[in-house]
Amino acid sequence: MKRVAVTGIGIVSPFGRGVEPLQAGLLECRSCLERSRVFEADLGFAPTVAQVREPLDVKPRPGFRLSRTDRLALVAAQDAAAEVAGRCQSFEESGVAIATTVGGLSEIQPAIATHPREYYRAKGFSTASSYPHGHAADVVGCHLGLRGPRLGVNVACASGAIAIALAARMILDGRAPVMLAGGSDALCQFTLGGFHSLQALDPEPCRPFDKNRNGLNLGEAAAMLVLEDLDRARARKARIWAVLLGWGMSNDAFHLTAPHEAGAGLAASMLRAAQMAGVAPSDIGYVNAHGTGTPSNDPAEANAYAAVFGRGRPVPVSSTKSYLGHSLAAAGAVEAVVTILSLKLGVLFPTLRLTDPIECPCVDWLMGAPRRQDFRLAMTASAGFGGGNATLLFERGDE
Amino acid sequence: MTAPGGIAITGLGSVSCFGPLEGLIRARQCPPRPLDWQDHAAAFAVAPFRPAAVVPSLKTRRLDRLSAWSLVAAALALRDAQIDLDQQDRSRCAVVLGSGFGCIETTEAFFRTVAEWGYGKADPILFPDSLDNSPASHVAKHFALTGPNIALSCRGVSGEAALIEAASLLRAGEADLAIVMAGDTLTRTLYQWMEAAGLLSPRPGGFTPGEGLAALVMEPAGPPDGRGATVYATFERGAMGSDPNATGSSWPRDGRAVARVIRRALAGADPSSIRWIVSCTNGSAALDGVEAAAVREVFGSSCGAPVLAPKPIIGEFDGSGVLRLVAALSGIPSGIRGLGMMLGASAGGGCAALLLNVP
Repeated sequence: MKRVAVTGIGIVSPFGRGVEPLQAGLLECRSCLERSRVFEADLGFAPTVAQVREPLDVKPRPGFRLSRTDRLALVAAQDAAAEVAGRCQSFEESGVAIATTVGGLSEIQPAIATHPREYYRAKGFSTASSYPHGHAADVVGCHLGLRGPRLGVNVACASGAIAIALAARMILDGRAPVMLAGGSDALCQFTLGGFHSLQALDPEPCRPFDKNRNGLNLGEAAAMLVLEDLDRARARKARIWAVLLGWGMSNDAFHLTAPHEAGAGLAASMLRAAQMAGVAPSDIGYVNAHGTGTPSNDPAEANAYAAVFGRGRPVPVSSTKSYLGHSLAAAGAVEAVVTILSLKLGVLFPTLRLTDPIECPCVDWLMGAPRRQDFRLAMTASAGFGGGNATLLFERGDE
Repeated sequence: MTAPGGIAITGLGSVSCFGPLEGLIRARQCPPRPLDWQDHAAAFAVAPFRPAAVVPSLKTRRLDRLSAWSLVAAALALRDAQIDLDQQDRSRCAVVLGSGFGCIETTEAFFRTVAEWGYGKADPILFPDSLDNSPASHVAKHFALTGPNIALSCRGVSGEAALIEAASLLRAGEADLAIVMAGDTLTRTLYQWMEAAGLLSPRPGGFTPGEGLAALVMEPAGPPDGRGATVYATFERGAMGSDPNATGSSWPRDGRAVARVIRRALAGADPSSIRWIVSCTNGSAALDGVEAAAVREVFGSSCGAPVLAPKPIIGEFDGSGVLRLVAALSGIPSGIRGLGMMLGASAGGGCAALLLNVP
């Protein structure tokens, strides 16, 4: 049976560029969330966010206007590709699947919608070219000289995980020998204003799964995985970070912004992932949760865990959005990287600021300090506006 | 390429310049309509209609046109396929949407509230509907479909990508039925961007913007005996690729990238077995040249297969792929059946080829 291996990782997070600063930050239980005055003039308030401070230096390529989302994606993709390029046959035939919800919105001013012709004349024309959500995939594909398929994925906050699942299916179908897959989203006024209008933002650092949680914090990041056939990866003696054993996708068909209260859709996606992987839920050693910290998400998610894991051994669960904020379409990919790191290191990262967890007997809420634990299988769960859910199930890679 | 084995296309629904339609598009031509918001401009625009008049009890008052059209087209396609959803396992029904610009109307509306009131007082109703997956979500909610729900944005090959991904889901057993949709709306912002980019053609038959959305029902095994649905075509294989030498606003630089995906979709089949071709030509000299070069390279200069070019009657828009297929299936000359190839090429360098079979 064909399996999909993760043979490269590129990540730009508020901890910095690369896996090492992410790993160090997680092990130190360091929160990147802080009040930012960058957006205060536009928003009228200073939100608590997790920003990428790293300079995003990329070599410009004529014919492309790069948004901040594009730059984040390109830096992560270049780093991921550097792990395999030159060591991987037919790398130029690779494809790209990138999730984004923000795309080029960070570069666009509201005047585009009121007086477009004047806006384009006043230098807005080229910035608007980065608006389409397929743009980031084109940017990465063209900058890396790749000739394979390109997908832009936008399923709200489940996008990053879905991009990885679709890319994995492309590998299994033989549609591309290698896929660069993940997500990228920049902080911008549009999304901050939108979540503020929904009263979903916590003015303080978020507290996922705590009874006293008060909303989410936005973050920005990009994470890209290199996916290829496991046998092919082993044949070329590639570093195998993890094996993607299964995935599941579903929709709540319930409400545009609220999750199904019973967590039925998210539970279905987890069960589908376990079924595809051929494992039982009781085999899962850790779940990296969606865990936004909003009043409606967290209990629904706990109900999903109850439905999947039942009355057996409580499953360890944490939300690393408490470190990095919610990077929207990038979140599923960022959390896939965190899950892979957790498997690789044999460390369960706790949810920060979780002191009084919501009740769910089937869950071992990870709190306090990181916990050493040897385990082989882990899941990462994502959910988003529109009711979309996705779960990725990873097995620890070769030592 | 996707794995072999035909996936049946059993239902068609569309909202286009021809209006909302179930099944094939019987009309032959519809002239471009003058645009309300731009003097001396015309496009293959969708005339306003009341969705509930087409699909009784449909509520679309708060939705933008892309979401409303998705609901209408999906309902028409399901009706055309004679599918009773009560007889289906709805957890195994997928919805896959392709769109270049997604809910751009709602995004613009959100921006207008921001221009008036500021980001701090933005409209909470508009924000969630500005996400590109909203139309697919509304379809899932309306029909209570809890299977995979995917929204793709692959510029000018968004529809082709949606068809390929839906076929892949069905072949892999991740769903038993898929509603595949693709479309885009034309807004003043988008039109004036094309104008500023110098894309619009002053001559009839040149690049003319359009808008619309079409939905297909895809089933791996075809309709069961006795349901009475028409199998319009089977989806055999699809391939996507790209030209890394393209720019953000240019089509593939030459025919080689398109020729490569055609060969991958053929997967060794004899090019002379192709009986019909659906072109993505839009009247621009650059794209027409690229596509012609690819067709010549793969099929030879004596290619006798008729080439159907739907964009001159439906207009150019990124998510046109599924509507283009519906228009082509409607326009295939009687007597021509068998294998056909649908081509797609996009700004940014993306390209696609789909191998279809008309029984």
